[in-house]
Amino acid sequence: MLRKMTLILMGLMLLVSRSSAERPSINLELDSNQLIIFSATDIKAIAPVLNAFRAQNPTVNLEYHEFNTQELDRAIRAKPLEDQPDVVISSAMDLQVRLVNDGYAQPVLGEAVAALPSWANWRNEVIGFTYEPIVFVYNKQAFKNKAVPLTHESLASTMRIEDGFFANRVGSYDARRSGIGYLVATQDEVTSSISGRLQESLGRARTKVYGQTASLLDDIASGKLIFGYNLLGSYSFARERRDNSIGVVIPQDYALVVSRAAFISKQAKHVSNAQRFVNFLISDEGQDVIAKKSELVALFPDIDSLVSQQDVQDQTINFHPIPLGPALMVYLDDSKRRRFIKAWESALLPIKGE
Amino acid sequence: MSMTEKSYSIRSRMLGRSAFLLLSIFLILSLGVWHYARQSANYSYDRLLNSASLSIMEGLHVYDKQVDLDLPYAAFEMMQLANEDKVFYQALGTQGELITGYPDMPLPAKMSVESPISFYNGHYLSEDVRVVIRHKRISEPSVSGWVTVVLAQTLRARHEMMIDILYRSFAVLFGIMACVMIVLWVAINRALEPLSSISKSLASHSLVSAEPIQTTPIQEVSPLVSAINDYQAQLLSNLALMKRFIADASHQIRTAQSATQAQLDIASQSQNLADLPEHLSKIRTEHDRLTRLTNQLLTHAMVVHRGDAGVIEKLDVESVVKQLLTECVRDNAHRTIDFSYQCELPLPLFMGDSISLREAIRNLLDNALYYGPEHNQIEILLQTDSSGIDIIIDDAGSGIPLELREKALERFQRLANDLSGSGLGLSIVTSVAEAHGGQFFLEDSPLGGLRARIHLPKEGVSC
Repeated sequence: MLRKMTLILMGLMLLVSRSSAERPSINLELDSNQLIIFSATDIKAIAPVLNAFRAQNPTVNLEYHEFNTQELDRAIRAKPLEDQPDVVISSAMDLQVRLVNDGYAQPVLGEAVAALPSWANWRNEVIGFTYEPIVFVYNKQAFKNKAVPLTHESLASTMRIEDGFFANRVGSYDARRSGIGYLVATQDEVTSSISGRLQESLGRARTKVYGQTASLLDDIASGKLIFGYNLLGSYSFARERRDNSIGVVIPQDYALVVSRAAFISKQAKHVSNAQRFVNFLISDEGQDVIAKKSELVALFPDIDSLVSQQDVQDQTINFHPIPLGPALMVYLDDSKRRRFIKAWESALLPIKGE
Repeated sequence: MSMTEKSYSIRSRMLGRSAFLLLSIFLILSLGVWHYARQSANYSYDRLLNSASLSIMEGLHVYDKQVDLDLPYAAFEMMQLANEDKVFYQALGTQGELITGYPDMPLPAKMSVESPISFYNGHYLSEDVRVVIRHKRISEPSVSGWVTVVLAQTLRARHEMMIDILYRSFAVLFGIMACVMIVLWVAINRALEPLSSISKSLASHSLVSAEPIQTTPIQEVSPLVSAINDYQAQLLSNLALMKRFIADASHQIRTAQSATQAQLDIASQSQNLADLPEHLSKIRTEHDRLTRLTNQLLTHAMVVHRGDAGVIEKLDVESVVKQLLTECVRDNAHRTIDFSYQCELPLPLFMGDSISLREAIRNLLDNALYYGPEHNQIEILLQTDSSGIDIIIDDAGSGIPLELREKALERFQRLANDLSGSGLGLSIVTSVAEAHGGQFFLEDSPLGGLRARIHLPKEGVSC
């Protein structure tokens, strides 16, 4: 009698749990063994990862389309759901989060997803697979006899004191054109209390703004610029390794960390390939390839090797990973964005007609 | 349904019914718990939604004659407390125009600014959402009117909280039910234990042994034990009475038989033929006695049996008595006996056994005739009052002295040994009176002899 009762109870509980755990069914169609990736990542930087995946899945026909972050967002929004690529990757975490919020993604399945740090996973639908600190880049030649500013605080004061030295020779992202630039600028405002002062200093130094990290780095290497503010660490470290003329500093008071975010389209045509690819990105193997072969930085990087170039003062670096979540959408609000860009323009670009 | 009830076990029946009851209670409680879980999950996250919408409302300001929203970061950080849920929002201006946010949020069919805040469930971008809609009046020189903030959140955190509460409550409920079931099982077994111990002691117990079943300290069981013991005691006393009766009856029969036998022996050994008629008459007397004894014994047995069997019919006492009297007068026409019959009021019909009653009255009449003198006067009186009917037979005989009347009612007690009474007559009358719920009395007769009175109550057997 007791057993009968238990059975009924268990049935009841099963019913309850089934209705709550809404697992999407995995569509295992393999009509054409393709995988289409839309990504805002330099093909050069990510190529080793793609090659490693190809080596592991030789039958998969991988198609990679490169965009810049804002173009990518527009491209995805322009397409109907059924024409979406399988996987979308971008370092503009805010844009990625908003795409997911608007229902463009489906959950990534797998044990590795659950093991991700909470800031690198939202709803299991968008996951971060790199760890890219936002850094200062400087021209070594120019700073030969000078102390390189190691914190936001010291940068702001140095720029104010030596405005002649910095004038016209500082570069940063154009928050209007570059998705990552906008993300970093807004997160600076959220995270730090001195961002206003810094923007003002940058404005006084007539900072040049760029849409691409590569051209920024080129100009610093050539000596056209002497200092780059808030650059993506991944590309900068890679450039530093190749090019002796630039140095990279991870700010020591706080360092924002951007994680390249990937999601699988809600109606991806090649779901199993997409699942395999995203799981590969966060697998030990994938992370190993990212760390050792690509220009990207793996999720759990060897921080010591990154900072070995700079003399870390007695304090440890305060890394501040930007968490994936709906809060990132605040600055994407049209009204908020308009307001922010206006303030940014008036601070950074005081002279019209640049 | 079958007419014969199938055998069943009280234990499993009680357990089964308790389990069924518990299950019903469990189901009802589960329903309550489910409701509670849903309520509290909604309540908690509605508060979150509420404060976030309030915070967004704070960001609405008038700039350059236009309402604009400076979306507060804090509002979304608050929403991130439900860290897995999507967030949708919208701000509407005084004319209902979109200021910022998602343009096509699910709005209630009829928007009223009566209540500053309201919650509802909706569906947006293929997700079920909980929506809060909040109104605020802006009155600036340039702009005035109601502005609206709509904020929606998916239900994942709510569901998680609800399931969490449900699981915990179910676990507790289930635990309690299991404990109750175990306690019930033990309790039922304990409660049924005396039953099996009594049946065990009954099985090993001989009914005719004088030893009663051991009394039990259990209050609920002791009535059963004492009932069994009472039953046994009654059975034993009845048995003793029967034994004595049989012993007495056989003694009487043997006595009569041996007397007859002795007279026969004397007659067969007698040489004198002239003595033979005398012997024969003695043998006849003895034989008459034996016959009378046998008849009385059979009558007694019949009366007792009918009394036990409870044979009841509607009877008219008057006609029974009249018929008997008629027979009696006819049989004793050769004797100088005065019969009189008196019935004051018409008697009501009486529920009883006419055959037993007839035997009782016949015995009384026979006694009056037998023991009375040659010139006797016998008077039959039928009286009725509120308590019942009295059948009274008076005679003018010698009567029975007061101290011997009680003895006269006992079986096989003959007051005069020389007379050939069976000693059963009055005992038959007593039995009949008792079987009808009445009583039998021996009293003094106004005629000088004995008055025999049978009192039959109106209630009792009659109904």
